[in-house]
Amino acid sequence: MKKQEKGHAPRYKASFGGVMFDVIKWIILILFVIVTLYPVLNTLAVSLNDGMDTIRGGIYLIPRKFTWQNYLTVLRKDSLKIATIVTVSRTVIGTVVQLFVTAMLAYIVSRKDFVFKKFLTILYVLTMYVNAGLIPGYLLIKNLGLLNSFWVYIIPGMVSAFNMIVIRTFMNGIPDSLAESAEVDGAGHMRIFIQIILPLCKPVLATVALFIAVGQWNSWFDAMLYNSFNENLTTLQYELMKLLSSVSSQSGNIDALKNTGSMVTPMSVRAATTIVTSIPIICLYPWLQRYFVAGLTIGGVKE
Amino acid sequence: MRKWGKLLSVVMVASMLTVGMTGCGKDKNENTTIATEGNAAEGNAAEEDDTAEKTIREYSLFVATAGKEVPDDNRLYQQITEKIGAKAKVTWLTGQTDKERVGVMIAGGEYPDMIVGSNATPDLVAAGALVDLTDKLDNYPNLKKFRTDEEWNMIKGANDGSIYYIPIFGKSNGDSMYVKHNDEAFWIQKRVLEWANWPEINTLDQYFDLIQGYLAANPKDAEGQENIGYEILCDDWRWFCLENPSQFLAGYANDGAAIVDADTKTARNYDDIPEAKAYYSKLNEMYNAGVIDPETFTMSYDQYIAKLSSGRVLGMVDQGWQFNDAVTSLVSQGKDDCTYVPLDLTIEEGVATKYFTPAALNVGDGIAITTSCKDVDGALQFLNDLLDPEVITMRGWGEEGVDYMVDENGMFYRTEEQRENAKDSDWVNENLASTIYSYLPNYSSGLLFDGKNAVNPAEQPSEFREGLSEYDKKVLDAYGYTKWTDFLTYTDDVGPWFPIYSAKNTWESSSDAAIAAQKMEEVKREWLPKVIMASTDKVEDTWNKYMDKYHNDTNYKVFEDALSEAVAERIAIAEGNN
Amino acid sequence: MKTETSVISANKKKNQFIKDLRKQKTLVFMSIPFILYVLVFSYLPLTGWLMAFQKYRPGKGLLDQEWSGFFQFKLLFQDETFLRVLRNTLCMSLINLTLGFITAIGLAILLNEVKSMRGKKFVQTVSYLPHFLSWIIVCGIIVDVLSPETGIINQLLLKLNIINSPINFFAEAKYFWGIVGASNIWKETGWNSIIYLAAITSISPELYEAASIDGANRWHKIKHIVLPGIKPTVFILLIMNIGNVLNAGFEVQYLLGNGMIQKVSQTIDIYVLKYGISMNNFSLATAAGIFKSVISISLIVIANKAAKAAGEERLF
Repeated sequence: MKKQEKGHAPRYKASFGGVMFDVIKWIILILFVIVTLYPVLNTLAVSLNDGMDTIRGGIYLIPRKFTWQNYLTVLRKDSLKIATIVTVSRTVIGTVVQLFVTAMLAYIVSRKDFVFKKFLTILYVLTMYVNAGLIPGYLLIKNLGLLNSFWVYIIPGMVSAFNMIVIRTFMNGIPDSLAESAEVDGAGHMRIFIQIILPLCKPVLATVALFIAVGQWNSWFDAMLYNSFNENLTTLQYELMKLLSSVSSQSGNIDALKNTGSMVTPMSVRAATTIVTSIPIICLYPWLQRYFVAGLTIGGVKE
Repeated sequence: MRKWGKLLSVVMVASMLTVGMTGCGKDKNENTTIATEGNAAEGNAAEEDDTAEKTIREYSLFVATAGKEVPDDNRLYQQITEKIGAKAKVTWLTGQTDKERVGVMIAGGEYPDMIVGSNATPDLVAAGALVDLTDKLDNYPNLKKFRTDEEWNMIKGANDGSIYYIPIFGKSNGDSMYVKHNDEAFWIQKRVLEWANWPEINTLDQYFDLIQGYLAANPKDAEGQENIGYEILCDDWRWFCLENPSQFLAGYANDGAAIVDADTKTARNYDDIPEAKAYYSKLNEMYNAGVIDPETFTMSYDQYIAKLSSGRVLGMVDQGWQFNDAVTSLVSQGKDDCTYVPLDLTIEEGVATKYFTPAALNVGDGIAITTSCKDVDGALQFLNDLLDPEVITMRGWGEEGVDYMVDENGMFYRTEEQRENAKDSDWVNENLASTIYSYLPNYSSGLLFDGKNAVNPAEQPSEFREGLSEYDKKVLDAYGYTKWTDFLTYTDDVGPWFPIYSAKNTWESSSDAAIAAQKMEEVKREWLPKVIMASTDKVEDTWNKYMDKYHNDTNYKVFEDALSEAVAERIAIAEGNN
Repeated sequence: MKTETSVISANKKKNQFIKDLRKQKTLVFMSIPFILYVLVFSYLPLTGWLMAFQKYRPGKGLLDQEWSGFFQFKLLFQDETFLRVLRNTLCMSLINLTLGFITAIGLAILLNEVKSMRGKKFVQTVSYLPHFLSWIIVCGIIVDVLSPETGIINQLLLKLNIINSPINFFAEAKYFWGIVGASNIWKETGWNSIIYLAAITSISPELYEAASIDGANRWHKIKHIVLPGIKPTVFILLIMNIGNVLNAGFEVQYLLGNGMIQKVSQTIDIYVLKYGISMNNFSLATAAGIFKSVISISLIVIANKAAKAAGEERLF
């Protein structure tokens, strides 16, 4: 580990230009860290501050009137347990399935003289730019019998054109000789794909896995549109969306509002929600990060 | 390879969990049984051996607006369910517009048992998604009684003689007993009135003179924050605070889209009337005098509430329900003197005002039973039972002895502890029914069927007085009023077309009138701030430019004609000619 | 004579194709599910595009609707508002695209230059955190930061004597696109740099070693090794994003815009929401969607051709 830390980036002679470079580099990075950390810390502070106090404004980094109330509101929700199980399931299954299937398609279209290469690529690339609209999409899901089913979270998004292109671009950079020599040894495409190409694609697979997992974790629209009348298929983000829109339903009818003076405000519940839902996915990150942050020592040379 | 194996096992476990869950989800679906004891039964264990159980009918209900979710174990939700043997599982609109969500439902042809369609209600009717209730209502006396014959006629008139839905809101049992004003008015901080020794304020000039005077004498508040004279909220759809005060100032009711002449029965815009010019010129004068917050046209709703909650804002024009949060915050900070009273201003003294009007019957929306419902009669029975006198009491007051007490004369009251509970929103959420079924028919004001007590505890005169802070008592006493609504003049002279803005919602988006309405909005949104912010010597010129733009670039005549047509239609319906 | 040879060459091509097909039967076999999948999930629903030529009412079948020809398209293009939102969308997109690319690549390169593994991980983790905040939170903060009364930017500018009186950033149209661009960078730079970091790791360390032996300094290495190393990724993402120029977003502009600056703040998506979806006009929304698709596809085809001509990595 120690050796890695020292040796991962190229060393330079301590010239004046080199020192200047380092100074400027760190100034930029530190500024960048401050600027990007601020909104997060601000959200954290708001989430720990009394809602009625927050609406007066002026909360920056430190809560003024500390409370757990916002978190309690979020965590007390009835359906949170089921929603968490569903969300974890869809994230794990969805990520594994989409990653594997998308990588397979990327493998197919990265074969140099494959006859359908261009056709397949174009077929998928276009899907990024055409959108049938809400109703036709809904009718398709309905006619396929995917309404009120867990699989609506997995199947319609099984292949992502964007991720496919990203993986393909990476695969294109792998020398053909590797696959060719395996082919000479009599390996089939499935074996070349799984045993040779996939392990070499770790950095890009880690990246894409992160994209997919975050997408799965954060999605709520499908749960709302397809499964909103089945409380056993609800997802975390959908439950929290519902909670949020219920706290911010001030716009509703006057008569319905008459008796409800809420002590938690949309702003503070939103902040607590954000923190609660971001933490798991942020924890996932360092685990994936090692595949592409480690830099040169891992990049080409095998561990 | 080992890694793949591990991953695979994770997937297996996860999918088994999911399948297991959906499995047990299925048998929980239709008729849920709960123990008569009233304990929250999850319905899983011990279903067969307990004979003391009865079947509870459950109906799904979708409300096409955002709303508060209520925990399943809310005490009164369970008690009401137990009493009437039925309940509704409510789903609210999330993250979409009402029309979008309902549009998808219509396209799919599958609905929940009951639905409140909001703006998409006409689409549901057109798609044949709703059960015709016209001949069924006679079997359900409480529902039938919920609307007068005249009101039923108006509802029928809106849909070619059939009743597809029951309007929910704006129903008072007898005369309304509103204690606070929830609609639009000019608002002024109580401390400003106190400073001026409780003056009567009737005109716009008096109002701004008062604010200007106070501001000059007190540029900063007790905490050293700078006072702000006047705010105009313009964020997103809330921008009506900017554009619609002219109608009130001219003595018209909140028809929203236009003013309607009671003699000629025609609609006319309120953007180029003399009162509009007088109002915006006054605002311009105040803007240049530093009374109006320079940030006002760019601030978000959150910022607006923040400013109000800080207690610095002396006055504004707004709907009462829009700044509830700010008032709650002010009270919790002990700044009762920074909360507001409503004023019904006019330009000239002596003009009758229509700020405070009866809740309008909205014949365009209501609770409906869909064609997907397998038990229409059961659903109607459920709605009928919710209007049972005892259930109405439960929905408003709660459980006798727990949530309220009854004195020897049969009058309801709350103890200090009960009153505190009713203020605690968490407690309310877990115990009281006031947030449950908020979109199912109920009386919103007036008296219970015992003829003594108010439907709404907050409107029970003894409760209202008890709930007031010392400062608030002082304010009311200074004016000799008993409730906040006494600051306004009540009138029910609003005409059968009221409110005409609801007709706007039914226009086809590609129709000329709808496009005209959009254009008018764009012009007003851009030009009204320009007029208000213009320098004193340019204000006349800017107003004229605005009027040119308004008259030349928008089809406001088409807009007015379409509204006039709607006025005529509604009058015909009300007179029974349709 | 000419036709004969072409027939022969066509036959030859055909034979070659069949030969290839036979040779690649595993790959062909593997492609079939992918073709079926995309046809069902992405192309079958496109029958819904017919809506654009109708006055669509939900509830009736797609073929039982009232047809309206190009009515919806005419409505779009005759409306000066639509042309204005089109301009706004394009401008904000281009600003976002340019700034987004430069900052993300810059951050990836800078991170690659960080020697301490811990520092690198820390900076990166922090940099991508704003991605998880919803726009409504980020916009709330932006509005606070830019507030004329309490905002830190105005206070800073006042203290440094750059301005005499606070600027009301949201009252003047000239600031809006910049604010939107800056907001996008703030939120997404860290996230967008992930993909470039992954690309940088694929560069063989031998290249650096060889360059070091040749006496190259850091600038040389960035210029001659890192940038060429991530060039394929950059080009691919550039082409794909060019296809997205009509998607400038919706939430930021909606949350930060106001009546006074609506002429520069509204995008196509806001227009579609206002005139289409919220007015129940699914047909208009579909027509705008088709328009966007046509433009997007034309743009990526052009960009792809350009990349081909330049001999760079291309999409297809």
